[in-house]
Amino acid sequence: MIEVRQVTKTYGKKENAFLALDGVSFEIPDGASVAIVGKSGSGKSTLMHAMSGLDRPEKGEVLIDGKNILELKGRALDAFRAQKMSFIFQSFFVQANESCYNNVSLPLEIADVPVAERKRKVVRALRAVELLDKLNVRARDLSGGQKQRLAIARAIVNEPSILFADEPTGNLDSSTGDTIEDLLFSYNKANKTTLIIVTHDHDLAAKCDIRIDIKDGKILSVKEKAGSKSVSREAEEVVAK
Amino acid sequence: MRTADVIRRAGRSLQQAKARTLLTSLAIAVGGFTLTLSLAAGQGSREYADKLISSNVDPQSLIIAKDPALLGGGAAAQAGGLHDYDANAATTRGVGGSVSIKQLTQDDLAKLQKNSDLTDVRPLYQPVAKYIQIGDSDKKYTGDISQYNPNIRSDSAAGSLPLLGTDIGGNEVVIPQTYADRLGVAPADLIGKNLVITVAKPATTPTEQQINTILATEGTAGLTKLTQPETEDVTLKIRAVMKSSATTLSTSTSMQIASDQAKNLTDYTTQGTSNYQKYMIVTARAKKGINPETVKQDLKGQGFNAKTAKDLQNLLFTIVNILQGIVAGFGVLALLASVFGIINTQYISVLERTQQIGLMKALGMRSRDVARLFRFEAAWIGFLGGVIGAGLAWILGTLLNPWITDKLSLGDGNHLLVFQPVPVVLLIASLVLVAVVAGYLPARKAAKLDPIEALRTE
Repeated sequence: MIEVRQVTKTYGKKENAFLALDGVSFEIPDGASVAIVGKSGSGKSTLMHAMSGLDRPEKGEVLIDGKNILELKGRALDAFRAQKMSFIFQSFFVQANESCYNNVSLPLEIADVPVAERKRKVVRALRAVELLDKLNVRARDLSGGQKQRLAIARAIVNEPSILFADEPTGNLDSSTGDTIEDLLFSYNKANKTTLIIVTHDHDLAAKCDIRIDIKDGKILSVKEKAGSKSVSREAEEVVAK
Repeated sequence: MRTADVIRRAGRSLQQAKARTLLTSLAIAVGGFTLTLSLAAGQGSREYADKLISSNVDPQSLIIAKDPALLGGGAAAQAGGLHDYDANAATTRGVGGSVSIKQLTQDDLAKLQKNSDLTDVRPLYQPVAKYIQIGDSDKKYTGDISQYNPNIRSDSAAGSLPLLGTDIGGNEVVIPQTYADRLGVAPADLIGKNLVITVAKPATTPTEQQINTILATEGTAGLTKLTQPETEDVTLKIRAVMKSSATTLSTSTSMQIASDQAKNLTDYTTQGTSNYQKYMIVTARAKKGINPETVKQDLKGQGFNAKTAKDLQNLLFTIVNILQGIVAGFGVLALLASVFGIINTQYISVLERTQQIGLMKALGMRSRDVARLFRFEAAWIGFLGGVIGAGLAWILGTLLNPWITDKLSLGDGNHLLVFQPVPVVLLIASLVLVAVVAGYLPARKAAKLDPIEALRTE
């Protein structure tokens, strides 16, 4: 469970101060897929950074399984991210000169996974995204869709409990984008991994269990998709408060 | 993150920028090359000097003088200016003024001969010949005479030399090969021939009474004879012709005679002068089992200045060390220049890989590990540069050694450049360290990078 409580983040100082997040609160149950929707500058990326501990808001709490990650010291926070979280970005950020294997093995190295286990995990992740045949191909030789699949393999290799995706289909054509979306959602369902997608794509947002709309640093609405469990009722209550 | 993983990632990053990595490490390689050569040249020179001394000089031998300046041990305080008169000092007119040198008197000599630690105490006679004649020819030559040193090994081109420690006979002479060359004769043809040394007594100033007496009895012819210096011919047999060699220290430009004969000649030529039976230098040997260094300190207490074989070696080593230091200095300068090259390259590398660094930090890589990644990259550059520089120096030095030996006439089997694995490995290790220090600032920049800024795509 992720609980975001009264998170406030300001950029700049005094007269130039800009409120990127203004007392944001909501809850996400484990295993849910969540879309954070908003236009550029709405604060959606800042919210993702705050939830992942990359950014430090001035006020508020981000509780993950009851632990406030904003209070963690640098080393513990790094370890926490390495163990529990993963990221997928719009521009893939795969290391072009490294082989697929070494791209995927990076999070395992960072998380100090024993050498013996790495190979098995990397192979499993690459198989999940159907890139096993590209094991020793350099990332620069892949197509855009393959690069994003590689990024997904890198994101899931260490079996994170939270997967952040920042505009994961933004740089892809629609059919490739659909493949990536299917990959993300099926992983979300199969592994009970919380999937948090930051996007301005309403079609993508519609596929998620919970949709959080954000504008000017404030939550506009938290909506639960019809048919899914009553996961978001508590969240709505929090917003109502 | 494990160190092995960091090192592997650092190595791969460098492979991806091959040209840049190579060029940066070449800068370090220049320093490594120079330093390796200076190490090799220093080692080679020291080995050569060591060989030269140990094969030529009896380790027990001592050179003793009264004047510290003579052996380079103290300040040449007596040069120029106004000084106390010393009846036992020889005055030499040198460049920039006369230099007076304290000499050893007969008393000093007796004192040394009585010293129970010393044996073979011999003054160094410095006889001066008016002229010499060789063989049956009437042609007169001049040449330096020195004393045959039984403690120094020499090689003969013809004839035979006595065993080390044994003097040649009183009527024998050993001549350098250059004499044979000058005479245009094969060295072997000179063996057994006569060599006549003509020495002159110092001219005396006759008193008025002597002049009157001579004039009265022998006339002007007698007077001429009186003022003409008296001379004496000494006939010696050529025992051997010395070979000039790279590893012999003997003074190969002077003829050498037995010390008894040298004493006779010296006494004859200094009779009636203030230098009579006074000597600049005395050679001696410490008795077996007695440390020459102890004897040296002992003698110092008695007002003598002594040099041991070890001192001679140290003197040569000092010169070698200074030269080596100069070459090494250039290497260090080259290294300093390469440090800025590494800093620059690594800064560019950090800028280029901003997103990569951001990603790694987002994935939970610690700042410390990010810094380590860049420091190891710098280390790889240093290692590569060190191996290239030292390797090239080693190969080139090994190839050039025979040519250098030939050009400097060091003698067969001697090499100016002696490469040793341990110092070279240590050198490479220190180059790696230098590179890591140079990579400190870029590594810190990488570690401090804000992942959010780094991952901003716009």
